[in-house]
Amino acid sequence: MAENLLEVKNLKKYFPVKAGIFKRTVAQVKAVDDISFAVEAGETLGLVGESGCGKSTTGRTILRLLEATSGEVIFEGKSVMDLAPKEMRAIRRDMQIIFQDPYASLNPRMTVADIVGEPLVIHKLVESKEEKNRRVEEILENVGMAKEYMNRYPHEFSGGQRQRIGVARALAVDPKLIIADEPVSALDVSVQAQVINLLQDLQKEFGLTYLFIAHDLSVVKHISDRVAVMYLGKIVELTDKKELFKNPMHPYTQSLLSAIPEADPKKKKDRIILEGDVPSPVDPPSGCRFHPRCPKAFEPCPKIEPDYKDYGDGHFAACHLLDK
Amino acid sequence: MVEKLVEVKNLKTYFYTEEGIVKAVDGVDFEIYPGETLGVVGESGCGKSVTSLSIMRLVESPPGRIEAGEIIFKGKDLIKISEKEMRKIRGNDISMIFQEPMTSLNPVYTVGDQIMEAIILHKGVNKKEARRQAIEMLQKVGIPLPEQRVDEYPHQLSGGMRQRVMIAMALSCDPQLLIADEPTTALDVTIQAQILELMNSLKESYGMAIMMITHDLGVIAEVSDRVAVMYAGKVVEYSEVNTLFDDPKHPYTWGLMNSIPKLDKDVDRLEAIPGSVPSPLNFPEGCKFNTRCPLAADKCFDQEPPLEDTGGGHLARCWRYKDLEEIKKRGEKIYEDRGVLD
Repeated sequence: MAENLLEVKNLKKYFPVKAGIFKRTVAQVKAVDDISFAVEAGETLGLVGESGCGKSTTGRTILRLLEATSGEVIFEGKSVMDLAPKEMRAIRRDMQIIFQDPYASLNPRMTVADIVGEPLVIHKLVESKEEKNRRVEEILENVGMAKEYMNRYPHEFSGGQRQRIGVARALAVDPKLIIADEPVSALDVSVQAQVINLLQDLQKEFGLTYLFIAHDLSVVKHISDRVAVMYLGKIVELTDKKELFKNPMHPYTQSLLSAIPEADPKKKKDRIILEGDVPSPVDPPSGCRFHPRCPKAFEPCPKIEPDYKDYGDGHFAACHLLDK
Repeated sequence: MVEKLVEVKNLKTYFYTEEGIVKAVDGVDFEIYPGETLGVVGESGCGKSVTSLSIMRLVESPPGRIEAGEIIFKGKDLIKISEKEMRKIRGNDISMIFQEPMTSLNPVYTVGDQIMEAIILHKGVNKKEARRQAIEMLQKVGIPLPEQRVDEYPHQLSGGMRQRVMIAMALSCDPQLLIADEPTTALDVTIQAQILELMNSLKESYGMAIMMITHDLGVIAEVSDRVAVMYAGKVVEYSEVNTLFDDPKHPYTWGLMNSIPKLDKDVDRLEAIPGSVPSPLNFPEGCKFNTRCPLAADKCFDQEPPLEDTGGGHLARCWRYKDLEEIKKRGEKIYEDRGVLD
């Protein structure tokens, strides 16, 4: 078994809701509420869920772009939560992030060479401008972009090319872990495939580990080794991807899988249509958070929160039905 | 022979901008029969939304202008009729729902007021009757407690509920054609499933035709009877839904289908289409797909192919669709990895 590169233990991230003239905290948005998982070196862990489930907050809290409310993040055996800013900066070299929106995440006033080269300068990985440019050229080649583009600005590129620049920037410092937060959802279908292929190639070439956050289950299935499903700040199921798609244990995963429209008109799916909407994370339902929408809910579900545990071969789930 | 409900012939809608003429829709033909769902699929900038706005005559002018073509709806050319006549059709015979329900609902009116507006305008009933009908519509689209919801404002509803309100509004006057422009793109997948199911059941009970515009081939497969695939302002393939998915004739359609990961099939690598969509300011000569097509030959760069019947009403705009068939028979891929793509 491969070693864990990243371990997340009982991670919580609450955002205060403030009101009144004294800005008193009147409630908490429990965006991430006590989740634990590990990412093995060299694997891709998919983190999937609907909007507001806390998947992006999880990614940002791991990098400490947001400070966790409580819990632990252990990277290469070292807890990153109590590191001083200087030490944190050093560790960020090993943990990089790619954002969803390639239009918003690149500084419009910087050239490609500056965008991709900035992390090299910050981490003092290059000594001269020539060296920096040489490295940038190499990195651009890795992501399939010609070096002629080095002195251009982000607005001159299409969405897919911008996402390549985003990937190049993350790649520049030779990281071990890349957190990819919906890296392809803003892209057109044909360009999505290019970026997915690129991410897979880079993983092979540089031995990268990915935490791949997305809402699109078919993309997650394609790229991941294991998949964690989130609902309202909790992981409800986590297992090997083949197992998850063949044998989903949690009723939420089952309905999520059945809801995906497939590009095959002859396939008539037995669809589990969920009632209602995702409840607010400010005041999540009692007991199991999925119980108001769950087609299989029974009497303990509204009262007791189900334990998140291993049901064999690393197939984790949190559901009372499984203990019945 | 069933009569066509809508027939679009050689539609051209251009935008006159400072940078030049944007040929957003550049010669589009298709028809919609009563009660059927036509899926229109394509990537951003292919002209699918502008086509639908042209049918509704909602293209902002200037800078946009319907340059040529005909849109025959029940024997009338919608391009030629007066704005007054068009207003009677819009929201009544043909109505439309959009991708982002929050921006298409007015935040300062209750949802009831907004649904009633169309009913009062087109059906000429009084306020009380309109309110009764509005509540009935909200119930039909599956909104719980419609008597209460009718007096709420859009911000009090979730995204899925807002899209249901949009659908209630669009269907309140019993349209013969509903144009749905990416109606589920902004929604989560479990909510998307709810809305698609709702649209399918309403289509049956109302007997209306739907023009479903989307970039998602999964949605297309789910709801369409026939499909038009658009690329760079033109229809490049047009067929009944099963034959399209079984046997795509255009290299672009083939590429689209292979570039999405499938749930029931594992592949190591996706067959990505190289490059990106050409700018509408500067479309290539000849076939507009020639910059990305692995089969492109000399003829493809010189002459634009016609939308040709490849047999059984399956139309494709490609000089080399027969060669593609041979390649498919041999089980080969056409999109090879080229590493550096740009």
